[in-house]
Amino acid sequence: MALLEMRGLTKIYDQGKIEVPALRGIDLTVEKGEFTTIFGPSGSGKTTLLNLIGCLDRPTAGTIIFDGQELGGLDKKDLAIIRRHHVGFVFQSYNLIPVLTAYENVEFAIRLVNKYEKKEIRDRVMRILAAVGLAGLENRKPNELSGGQKQRVAIARALVKEPKLVLADEPSANLDSKTSEEVLQVMAKMNRELGTTFIFSTHDPLVMEYARRLIEIRDGQVAKDQRRE
Amino acid sequence: MGFLTRLAFKNLFRHKLRTFVSIIAIAFSVMIVVFARGYVVGLIDNLTLEHIQYDSGHIKLITHEYRDEQRLLPLNYPVDGLNGGGLAEMIAALEKVEGVAMVVPRLKFGAMVSTGDELVTMGGWGVDPELETAFTGIEDYLVEGRMPQPGRLEVLMGTALLAKINRRVGEKVTIVFNTAFNSLRGVTFNIVGRTKSGIKLLDEVVFYLPLDQAQRLLEMDGQVTELLLATPDRKLVSQVLPRVQALLAEYGADGRYLALGYKETSDLIFFMDIAKVIYNQIYIFLVLLACIVVINTMLMIVKERTREIGMMSALGLESKDIMRLFLTEGAIMGVTGSLIGAVCGSLLNGYFAKNGIDFSAATSGFSAEIVFNSMVYPLSSPGNTVFAFFLGVVIVTIACVIPARRAARFEPTEAMRA
Repeated sequence: MALLEMRGLTKIYDQGKIEVPALRGIDLTVEKGEFTTIFGPSGSGKTTLLNLIGCLDRPTAGTIIFDGQELGGLDKKDLAIIRRHHVGFVFQSYNLIPVLTAYENVEFAIRLVNKYEKKEIRDRVMRILAAVGLAGLENRKPNELSGGQKQRVAIARALVKEPKLVLADEPSANLDSKTSEEVLQVMAKMNRELGTTFIFSTHDPLVMEYARRLIEIRDGQVAKDQRRE
Repeated sequence: MGFLTRLAFKNLFRHKLRTFVSIIAIAFSVMIVVFARGYVVGLIDNLTLEHIQYDSGHIKLITHEYRDEQRLLPLNYPVDGLNGGGLAEMIAALEKVEGVAMVVPRLKFGAMVSTGDELVTMGGWGVDPELETAFTGIEDYLVEGRMPQPGRLEVLMGTALLAKINRRVGEKVTIVFNTAFNSLRGVTFNIVGRTKSGIKLLDEVVFYLPLDQAQRLLEMDGQVTELLLATPDRKLVSQVLPRVQALLAEYGADGRYLALGYKETSDLIFFMDIAKVIYNQIYIFLVLLACIVVINTMLMIVKERTREIGMMSALGLESKDIMRLFLTEGAIMGVTGSLIGAVCGSLLNGYFAKNGIDFSAATSGFSAEIVFNSMVYPLSSPGNTVFAFFLGVVIVTIACVIPARRAARFEPTEAMRA
């Protein structure tokens, strides 16, 4: 069953007198539960595509249907609500809030959803932190955690609200290969256990190894779309 | 949302020194507001009170002609009753007017004393010592001796006036004056008391004597130059004054007498009321100055946390929540700074309200006609402290709308690229 359907997706950045096309009519369908990697050279349009999928930006032309809902007619507030409930983000530079503990950083995401009781929030946060291997570190602040641990907190933050989709932009870029592998294993495990759809944007061959679908973007178009067993 | 408030509070500890400087800027401005407002209100209240006590009463009753010439202290336009009924009957009628708590008669006249080398001019006030004390609390200024007593040739003088005529309490003084019939007269009095008030008029110009003696010596039995009416509260003047005017009209005496509210007898009081309003606007600008520091701090914070704002937006935080987060941070600084400032200002006011600020050197050149006490006692009131506190909180929070709106307007993709 399709989680995402993109038809004729086009994004043109208006930079004064120059128009820079980032995406040129992309057609893609992403099924629920996929573990997909989008790769391609710098400037190929990977991040732009992720931003559009993640409801962070609007396309210049074309349509995106997210879980049966057309995103084109939604305003800023509606897009924020979709992100809050259904999309998790993992960023290259973790983007944790430095004054909050690991627990509070994860709690932040689930608090926004605003549908759980206090006790349930605590249970969910503790469970997801344990699942990403951070049991016992919940009271540490980001500056007291290693890069890998920070990225695990970011993954826990993305997953705690059980989103339909997790978008990870270069999640291993700041990690050594051993830590990258650990982090990817965590995400693969979550994909298997929770059925969460993951879409990565990366240059990292290790990430590509884990992916069951590889989409290559070149010059704002899909150059290759390969599924693996 | 409690979580955002907690986050806002924790955010303030990211750069403790910066937060501290902002809070101190707010605290300082609020402290100045508390002190300045206490000082100005205290000054105006003191000035108004002294004007009421030593010049106008809450309502002043004089003749039309006396009003035009009162600076010359004329004796030929007296207050002597309603339609020939006599002064005592007039006072009794006025005391019956609803809202009139006291009727204080005064007989003011010009006089002089020779020191041998020069003639010192002064003003004599014939008063009922008991009523005068009850109305003005003049006894509080007594530093030596006592009030003159009815039936005796006694006077009370200010310290500076005694020094001018080179006399002391216990000594005698011969005072020369014109009677109502314009005949020059010299009478020797016993000096029974000395006052020191800080009010130039009382210290250097006026001497008190019993009203009955003044009336007898000036040949003005049953006459005074003015009647001062006191109300329980000066706010009641606007209600009582029409009743007094109605009484005068009832007796057909409104053509002869004038009843004036205390504000009508001094331009200064009128201007002071305007000054109060102007000062209230100045306080707002004072706090706005401190807000520049806060706005600057908040703009720096927004710039530094742009990526974080983008991330929070990506997680689904709406623009209004981001705005609320930054407004809460500003409001916490505003509340903390305003609280510190209000407490410090209040302590400062409390100290000066007790000990006063001495302006005698600065006001030495003032005319004695301006009834002004050179010791200024700021008003230390909870209302003033609460006013300054809320002024600080509200203005700082409003000022934080500028950086907060800036933060809330970021598009998440742009913010995360920053």
